[in-house]
Amino acid sequence: QVAFAAHTTPQKSSYDQQAQYPAETAKKPLREAIDELKSRYQIQVAFQQGLLDDKYVVAAAVADLSSSKLTAENSLAQLLVAVHLQFKRIGAKQYVIYSSTNAQLADDVVKGKVVLEDGSGVPGATVVVKGTQIGTGTDAEGNFELKLPPTSQGQPVVLVASFIGYAKMEVTVTNRAAPLTIKLAKSDQTLDEVVVTALGIAKQKRDLGYAVAEVKGEDLVQARENNVANALTGKVAGVNVAGLSTGPGGSSRVIIRGNGSLSGSANNQPLYVLNGMPMDNSVPGQAPTANGGGTNVDRGDGIASINPDDIESITVLKGGTAAALYGSRGGNGVILITTKKGRAQKGIGVEFNSTSTIESISVIPEFQYEYGQGDGGVKPTTLAAAQSTGRRSWGARLDGSTDYVGVDGQTHPYVAQKDNLKHFYQLGRTFTNTLALSGGNEGIAYRFSLSNLDSEGLLPGSTYNRKTGNLNLSGKLSPRLSYEALAQYNIETANKRPSAGDALANPNWSPYMIANTADVRWLKPGYDANGYETVWNDASVATNGYFVVNKFQQDDRKNRFIGQASLSYELAKNLVLKGTVSQDHYDYNYRNITPTGTLYALTGQYAGIKSDVSETNALATLTYTKQIKEVGLSFLAGANKRRSSLNELDQAGTGFTIPFFYSYNNLATGTTLALAQRQDVNSIFGSADFNYKSLFFLTVTGRNDWYSTLSPSNNSKFYPSINGSFIVSDVVYMPRAVNLVKLRGAYAQVGQGAPEPYAVNLTYSNVPSSGRPLQNVSSNVPGSGLAGITNANLGPVLSTTAEGGLEAQLLDNRLSLDLTYYNRLTDNDIVNTTISPTSGYNSVYLNAGKVRNRGIEALVSGTPIRTANFSWNTSYNLAYNDNKVLQLVEGINSINLASTVGNWAYINNTVGQSAFEIVGTRIQKDENGNTVFDAASGYPVATALQPLGKSVAPLTMGFSNDFRYKRLSLNVLLDGKFGNKVFSISEVYETRLGLLKSTLPGRENGLQLTGVTRSGDPYSRLVPVSGLRNYYDNYKNYSELFLHDGGFIKLRQVILAYNLPAFQISSFKLQSATIAFVARNLLILMKHTNFDPEQSFSNSNYQGLESIGLPRTRSYGLNLSVKF
Amino acid sequence: CTKDFEEINTNPNAVGTITPEYVFTKAQYDGVANMLYLLLGTMQYTTSFNDVAGFGSKYIASQVNSSSAAFSTAYPNALNEINLVINAVRDDPAKVNMLAAARIWRVYCYSRLTDVYGDVPYFQANQGYTDAQYTPAYDPQKDIYADMLKELDEAATSLDPAKPTFGAADLLYNGNTAQWKKFAYSLMLRLGMRLTKVDIAAAQTWATKALAGGVITEDADIAKVNYLASGQIINQNPLAYNLLINDYIAANGSTNQEGGKYQKVFIDYLKQTRDPRLGIISVVYTGGTPNQTDTAFAKQQGMPANLSAKPANFAQLSEPNPKTVLLLNSPRLVFTAAESYFLQTEAALRGWSGGAAPTLYSNGVRAALRQWAIISPTDGALSAQRITGYVNNNQLVAGSFDDKMKQIYTQFWVSIFPDAQEAFASYRRTGDPTLTPNNYPGNATGGQFPRRFLYPVSEQNLNTAAYNAAIARQGPNTLLTRVYWDK
Repeated sequence: QVAFAAHTTPQKSSYDQQAQYPAETAKKPLREAIDELKSRYQIQVAFQQGLLDDKYVVAAAVADLSSSKLTAENSLAQLLVAVHLQFKRIGAKQYVIYSSTNAQLADDVVKGKVVLEDGSGVPGATVVVKGTQIGTGTDAEGNFELKLPPTSQGQPVVLVASFIGYAKMEVTVTNRAAPLTIKLAKSDQTLDEVVVTALGIAKQKRDLGYAVAEVKGEDLVQARENNVANALTGKVAGVNVAGLSTGPGGSSRVIIRGNGSLSGSANNQPLYVLNGMPMDNSVPGQAPTANGGGTNVDRGDGIASINPDDIESITVLKGGTAAALYGSRGGNGVILITTKKGRAQKGIGVEFNSTSTIESISVIPEFQYEYGQGDGGVKPTTLAAAQSTGRRSWGARLDGSTDYVGVDGQTHPYVAQKDNLKHFYQLGRTFTNTLALSGGNEGIAYRFSLSNLDSEGLLPGSTYNRKTGNLNLSGKLSPRLSYEALAQYNIETANKRPSAGDALANPNWSPYMIANTADVRWLKPGYDANGYETVWNDASVATNGYFVVNKFQQDDRKNRFIGQASLSYELAKNLVLKGTVSQDHYDYNYRNITPTGTLYALTGQYAGIKSDVSETNALATLTYTKQIKEVGLSFLAGANKRRSSLNELDQAGTGFTIPFFYSYNNLATGTTLALAQRQDVNSIFGSADFNYKSLFFLTVTGRNDWYSTLSPSNNSKFYPSINGSFIVSDVVYMPRAVNLVKLRGAYAQVGQGAPEPYAVNLTYSNVPSSGRPLQNVSSNVPGSGLAGITNANLGPVLSTTAEGGLEAQLLDNRLSLDLTYYNRLTDNDIVNTTISPTSGYNSVYLNAGKVRNRGIEALVSGTPIRTANFSWNTSYNLAYNDNKVLQLVEGINSINLASTVGNWAYINNTVGQSAFEIVGTRIQKDENGNTVFDAASGYPVATALQPLGKSVAPLTMGFSNDFRYKRLSLNVLLDGKFGNKVFSISEVYETRLGLLKSTLPGRENGLQLTGVTRSGDPYSRLVPVSGLRNYYDNYKNYSELFLHDGGFIKLRQVILAYNLPAFQISSFKLQSATIAFVARNLLILMKHTNFDPEQSFSNSNYQGLESIGLPRTRSYGLNLSVKF
Repeated sequence: CTKDFEEINTNPNAVGTITPEYVFTKAQYDGVANMLYLLLGTMQYTTSFNDVAGFGSKYIASQVNSSSAAFSTAYPNALNEINLVINAVRDDPAKVNMLAAARIWRVYCYSRLTDVYGDVPYFQANQGYTDAQYTPAYDPQKDIYADMLKELDEAATSLDPAKPTFGAADLLYNGNTAQWKKFAYSLMLRLGMRLTKVDIAAAQTWATKALAGGVITEDADIAKVNYLASGQIINQNPLAYNLLINDYIAANGSTNQEGGKYQKVFIDYLKQTRDPRLGIISVVYTGGTPNQTDTAFAKQQGMPANLSAKPANFAQLSEPNPKTVLLLNSPRLVFTAAESYFLQTEAALRGWSGGAAPTLYSNGVRAALRQWAIISPTDGALSAQRITGYVNNNQLVAGSFDDKMKQIYTQFWVSIFPDAQEAFASYRRTGDPTLTPNNYPGNATGGQFPRRFLYPVSEQNLNTAAYNAAIARQGPNTLLTRVYWDK
């Protein structure tokens, strides 16, 4: 019988114990000497009962050992050689001592099967006799056969089954003949995790010298987000996710460790990598701007195409260190998506997952309901007056009087209408169904899935459909040759994506801005008998929302194919050559019709985009691994060629010759512009991993990139990285409560080319003309139409990251800590810098600037309660990122990147401030705090532009709790962001239009203003009621009035799931079934705004601007998951 | 590893060198198109009950920043383009006419800009690509004027009929060097006269020089750009296009998107003076029926500029005639014979020329009435009898210099329509015609007439030091700060 002597008894220091024995020749029991080593090295040593009895070693030798710097293994070897015993290392800190004479095996056989929770067999699992090296692996069905040593004949044996990602399971076997099934459960010991790192290389998490975080696919499929990136919200420290409120097919914005680039066009988002190969994450057309019109819509990003049901896991590589092997685009972090694969099994595995959710508006703004529609304190009593004041709440005090006339021409009681948003919008609905089949044998394993997502947005008529087919094949062609292939085909179609920004064709304008006594339904149907837009207000550009819903047309379709194939050949033992090619390609068609009869464009307008976009990569790697005694070595060398290309035709035109006939061919004036972009990056790279006794790990990498987008004289960049880790707890004495302590550190550089091609040489383009030929400087931001200066000397960006971290497992692995500090410096950043138009150009490409992101990330997780029936797992993550612009180009202290409609606020990069800082004006005050007035106009003086706040939250947190009671589980995720500001364009209008409570002062008797003039003399005036509208209208010139703290805490996710008992359904051959109530964005627990602080309309760098977009939603529904 | 990189990084849809002709044509289109439409309201030709669109006639404080549009547009378009042309042709003696035309056009574009905003970047402007000059200094308007006049002088004398020209790429004169010379001297006359308030001697010098060089007096020499009725927007009359698209396209008199109409001041004046141009310029829609226009004198009625809501009689009010002012293929008149005659009349009154002021004045009025036939031969032409009748009824009266100036520049105001920008300059210099500023609630000037328009706020952000220096020199960036020649 084997006993396992774990170091669980209280221990005294070995130095104390030595004193009990005389020096020189005194003997010491071997058992005691071994105990000393166990204590000193924190190791576990197993041996057969009685094996050490009556064996002694020289005490002086033991004393020598204890003061030496020898390793545990060397010490053991020295002790045991004298007594003719052997030992073996069987785990990171586990050894077994045996006598070679006892090692003979007889025919005592155990047969069994290792299965997962769902009952499927586990191929490749390890089964060992506990405390020995005797073991075997499972076959393709999970079966194993294990011969036991003769010493255990007739004795119960303990078998330990293990498999990567699952907790070790021990079973005691007494009856060898009884069928044996060992069921493995998911591991909650994070340090045993294997994670997928750069280039798809799986590594033990404990080996890594940098921070990674993993999210399992199963965490993404119950409470779904249409865009899977949004599901990362709050889950990973330092990953700042901002889901957009742009309807069901919208984009996401993910920022890891802050904005690393000051450029407007480098979008600062991480690189998405699918099964080791980069994928495209572009938004067709361009991301919406804060001042665009009707076609200013979010057309969805690349990650939106991925079906969460196909995802095995998502690994987030946070820094340049993790991403060094991905080169240029890895500088902002990498999100690695590993898709599910088939595995060898009997029969076909069938999985079905179905989710139905409904969505409702998350925040209804609070308006004033004291004074109603009208102007100058007078309510409208004629249709003409109603039309002039359709969006003005500057009327009389609400009195319920019945001579009030609305824009429908009818009289109505003059009372508040508080439900316009509810009346205008509908409940959103989303249905997702995925069916996956998997199976195979050693030669070919497959997984094939089909998925359909059908969404109707809040905006009537706004729909999104995504069909996905995903096929994954893998297997071995010969013992040395293996392959893997992925094919995914998507069809995404969307209708009526809602616009944001300016009022033109923005359907959200009417329900938000309509006067507070008018019912938005009075605007129905939005068109007259001729099909022309009906007037509801004094500005034709503020389009009737129902006209947008009923008459505007907007549809797009994206056909996307992602294909990957790799072959891997083992040239010699441990020497593997692998080649992979991948292409991510989509064809995109977009059409936007401004119909005949639109007030601001009476004859109609047409906009279309036809594009094909592809990202192609060819990668070859050679890997070699070798274990030389206690040193593990692994080498990798590789080369990659990346080509991305875009071919686009932009169609635009005005005036449908035959009214209401919406064809490009029917345009009075149509223009088609061709746009082509190509860029290549060629790379070679290598890495070497060293591992000493699983205590020290060291990885060095080097990469050289050549960028086609840079100056021919300066287009090559070599950059290195080094990272290492050290398992402190294996070497240094730790208190019992400490299970593991790991230190890690990393330093890496990442180069980067220009984000856009053609930034080196100035070119000239034809300007569409129906007369003489016209020519002008080409736009250096394709499609923007703005002339910009190229840069013949454009060189690479260099981003340098240093990070250090600590991981600890405490209290029997029930509490774990992970702390990281990082400092990331981006230098020579390539910025298409906005410059004064007086230079003749709107922008210039510069290697301008230096930006620093430094911060800390903390993760605390634990299992406060773990009983047979009830468990509570909790995890809290917190990240703080300090972002600062250290330097721009010589002579330029501030560059402008974006502005709101009306230029009421700007997004700037200014030295000393955070990147993408919100900039604007304040009301000028004198030193005594008096408002300074311009005596001529009678309005407060606006200050010069000044920084107003960060557009990106520096502090983010997530708090996740999993409760499990028998078959019931509850997941509750809270998250929060703090420290950022939001500028509200809605509130500018809501102030100008008299909707906000802040516009109430002065309504009855006029507003008394007091202050000083520019020259300091006292100033006062009374704004009469008739002038109030203009007075408050002018507030838009003071940005600070519309700026709010953007911080929040939200109840992000709730999943209440019930795992149906298997026995009830076993007759249907169901392996498992789970039904869950799911909810996302359920409650806002803290906010400082009159709107959802995450209200966002663009995934560009220009965050921090709220702009009359579709309201954000909460969603709730049911999820059903079954496996056959 | 970098094989084919240069080819990969070459835009397949653009070329590496300019074709000066094509860029010059673009610069002409852009130079003409860059106007502040709001000045039509300021000069009391038009107004709107919608006070956002009504900024021009109401100077509402909250909308002041809309007045900076022409500044931001000018540089990356017409001004930079003309610089590209100049750089491309300056070193080739055979291209002297192209250079001269470009230099003259540059003066035209800059003069429009500086007259509205005052000090603007000039000597260091448009050098972003050639000299990495991203923050050009603002130059005093005085220096800009001196250089513009010098440029006109040099360019006019350098023209050589024997050398090649831009030919058909020249929208103004089809390469005719004699006409370019007249245009140059006409501009010299305009800019010279601009200085009468601030530097009478310089004004006299330049006006005299211009007159000696020969200015535009014949209809055939009028500087104008012709347009097409359809096709690309850039090929259509920009003023007509903008008015049409923004306000008058419904052509029914009632659903004008931005609530625009002719202003009462303008219509009342035309009616009061029995001006035959009224029916050419203005229409009302009968019964709000689309396209049923009525040009009858008695029916024309302008809208007051002090409304904040749509008046009940909106549909009965006068608005621009779709067959003339809104005609997409009508030419834009850049410099008219009428303007030249009025300026000559003033020069004669000042004794700077031998001409007879009354004759010159009558020639001006006659030319002004004739020029609508250039806008539309079918709907703009007045009979010789009506022209003569009006000219005879509007002779230059005997009286004081000021009386005569008032008569000239009131007639100038009517004649220069719809070039409100030139009317705005002339008004600030002469004070004529007598216009009552609009004291609309919330106006930015305390009810005074604007004297300039605002620099873009973005200049504070992007060109801070230069902007601050300009403010310190010229005065605060408000509507009431006066430009150099308006002191």
